[in-house]
Amino acid sequence: MATLTLQSLGKSFGTTAAVTGVDLVVGDGELVCLLGPSGSGKSTVLRMVGGFEGPTAGRVLIDGQDVTHLPPERRPTSMMFQSHALWSHMTVAGNIGFGLRLRGLSRADVAQRVDAALDTVGLPGYGPRRTDQLSGGQAQRVALARSLVLEPKILLLDEPFASLDQHLRERLREEVRDLQKRLRITMVFVTHGQDEALALADRIVVMDRGRVQQADRPDRLYRAPATPFVAGFIGQMNLIAGEVAGGRFVQGAMVLAAPVADGPALLAVRPEALAVSFGTGAGRLHRVTDFGSHAVAEIDLPEGTRVKAHLPEAPDAAPGMPVTVTPRRHTLYRDDRVLWVSDTAPGAAPVAVDA
Amino acid sequence: MTDTATSGGAATGRPDASGRVTGLILVALPVAMVMTMIVWPIGLAILDTLWLPGPDGTGARFSVASYRFFFSDGYSLGNLWITIWTTAVSTAILMAIAIPLSIYLRFRTGRAAAVVQALAIFPLFVPSIILAYAFVRVLGPNGMVDIILANIGLPRIRSPYLTVWGPVIGFVWDNLPLTVVILLAGLSGVSTQAVEAARDVGAGRIATFRHIILPRIGPSILVAASFVVLGLFSAFTFPYLLGPAAPEMMGPFMQRTFGDVLDPVQARTQAVVTFLFCAAFGWFYVRSIAANRRRMAR
Repeated sequence: MATLTLQSLGKSFGTTAAVTGVDLVVGDGELVCLLGPSGSGKSTVLRMVGGFEGPTAGRVLIDGQDVTHLPPERRPTSMMFQSHALWSHMTVAGNIGFGLRLRGLSRADVAQRVDAALDTVGLPGYGPRRTDQLSGGQAQRVALARSLVLEPKILLLDEPFASLDQHLRERLREEVRDLQKRLRITMVFVTHGQDEALALADRIVVMDRGRVQQADRPDRLYRAPATPFVAGFIGQMNLIAGEVAGGRFVQGAMVLAAPVADGPALLAVRPEALAVSFGTGAGRLHRVTDFGSHAVAEIDLPEGTRVKAHLPEAPDAAPGMPVTVTPRRHTLYRDDRVLWVSDTAPGAAPVAVDA
Repeated sequence: MTDTATSGGAATGRPDASGRVTGLILVALPVAMVMTMIVWPIGLAILDTLWLPGPDGTGARFSVASYRFFFSDGYSLGNLWITIWTTAVSTAILMAIAIPLSIYLRFRTGRAAAVVQALAIFPLFVPSIILAYAFVRVLGPNGMVDIILANIGLPRIRSPYLTVWGPVIGFVWDNLPLTVVILLAGLSGVSTQAVEAARDVGAGRIATFRHIILPRIGPSILVAASFVVLGLFSAFTFPYLLGPAAPEMMGPFMQRTFGDVLDPVQARTQAVVTFLFCAAFGWFYVRSIAANRRRMAR
C-alpha cells in the first residue's frame, strides 16, 4: 500500500516561481503522468517527491507520513532518470546491487535479488557486463531494475525514454505498464509527450507554468478539457477567439448558439468535429494532406485564423477554393474556464458547465 | 589506361610518404629540445658525479664516493627527509582541502560558490614570492594575526614562519588553484544524476563520495598529486623564504652547496638524488595512468 499526497506544494528559485499550489493524491497502485511543456514544473514536482529539491511551500506525504524534509536516501521512493545515470565504473550487477549492499545484505542475498531483478526486466545473465556494453534500451532496463530491486513504495520516472528512438520507446513503455500492473506499484511518470501519457497513465496531470491545469482520466482530458491550455495541448484543437453577444458566438461569418453572458470567448473545436463543405463560403482552402486513413484540410478563415478539419478522404479541391466550416461539437472558454459545451461527447461523463 | 592507373597509384602513395616526413619533422623539434635541454644535461650531471678525480686531484676515474658521502652524511639525509616529509604533508593537506572544495564547487551553483571559486583560483595569478611575502605579513612575527590578537588581549601565535610548517602552508596556498582546477576537470565527468541516483538508492554523503565520486576522479587525484609532488620536491622559493635554515629542503640545499660551499660535485649529487626520487614517482604515475587506461578499455 502506498499513496502519495501533495498538499499546496510550491517551489521558487529566487523570485521565480517554478511550481505553485500543487494539490494531488496518487492512489495505491496508480500510475499518474505529469504532462506539460518544458518549463511547466513537472520535473520539479517529481524531484520534490524524490527529495532532490526542497519545497518552498506545502508538504509531501507518503502513506500519510510527512517526508517533506527527508533527504532522498531516507525516502521510500526510487527515481529513474532521463539519462539512466548508471555508474560506469560498476558492472550491471554492481549497479543494481549497490543499494542492497548499502543496506548490509549478504553477498549471496544481493546476488540472488540482482538476478531476480534482471529477470524481471528481461535481461537475465547481464550481471557481469559493463554498462558501456549496453544499448540505450538495455541501460534503461538496468536503471529500472536498480530501482525495482529496492522495492520502493513509489517509483518516480523522469522522462526515462526521452532519449530512445520511437520504436524502442513504445516497447519500453508497454513493458513498464505491464510491470506496473503486475507489481501493483505506485508510479509517477513525467513526460512531455502526450502519446506517452495517454498510453500509460491511469490519470494525467497537465501542468503549465508551474500550476496544475487539470488532473483527470486520459479520455476526459481529451473530451472535456478544463482550460484552453489543456484543450490545445492534448490532441489537436482549433482555437478561435470571438465575442458572445445576444446568446450567439460570432467570429466573422461564423455564428453559433451560445446561451451565456455577453463578452469575449474562445471557441474550441476538434478537427474531427468540424464539418466542411467545399465550393461556397468565406473560408479558403489552404492545403489538403492525405494520411491514407484520413485527410486533413487546412482552411484560412476570413479573420486570419487557420483551422484544421479531418475528412474521411482527400477531396477533389484545389487550394484557394471557397469553403464553409461548421462546428458539430464545440466548447467555449472565458477566463481560462469552460463557459459552455455544445453537447457531450459519446462515452464521456457530463461536463460541468459554467455559464 | 595503364599509365593513368600507375600515376594514380603513385599519387595515392605520395601523401603517405610526405605525411610521414611531416610527422617526423613535427616530432623532431620537441625531441631535439628534450634531448639537448633535459636528457643531455642529466646525463652529464650523472656522469660528473660518477667520474671523479683521484685523491691527488688528477686522473678522473669511476667512483661512488659522492653518493657514499651523501648517504652517510646526517645533514644531507636530514635535508632529504625534511623534503620528503614536507612534500608528503603538503600533498596530504592540499588534497584534504582541495577534494571537498572541488566537490562543493562542482555540485553547488549560485553566488556563494562563484565567490569561493574566485578565491580558490586567485593564488594561481600571484607569483610565489608575493605569496611568501603575504604569508610573512599575515602569519609572521608582528603580522596581521598577531596584531589582531594583541588588540583583543589574546596571546600571540607561535608563528610558523621559519619553521617546517612555513613552506607547508605556502605550498598548500600556492598549489591549491591548480589542484582545484585539475580535480574540477575530473569531476566534470561525474554527472549530477549519477550522484542523485546514488543518494536515491540510499547512499549518504560519505558513501556517495567513496563509491561513486572517488572511483571516477582517482586519475585526476593522481595527476594533481603528481604535479604537486614533482613541483614541491624541487621547490626553492617557499623553503628559502619561509622554511628553517636547518634542516633545509633540497632546493635551497643544492643552491647553497653550489653557490656558498662551492662544491659542485656534491650539489650535482644532491640534484641526481632529487631527480631519482622524482623519476620514481613519475614512473609510478605513468604506470598508474596506463593501468587505469587498460581498465577503462576492457
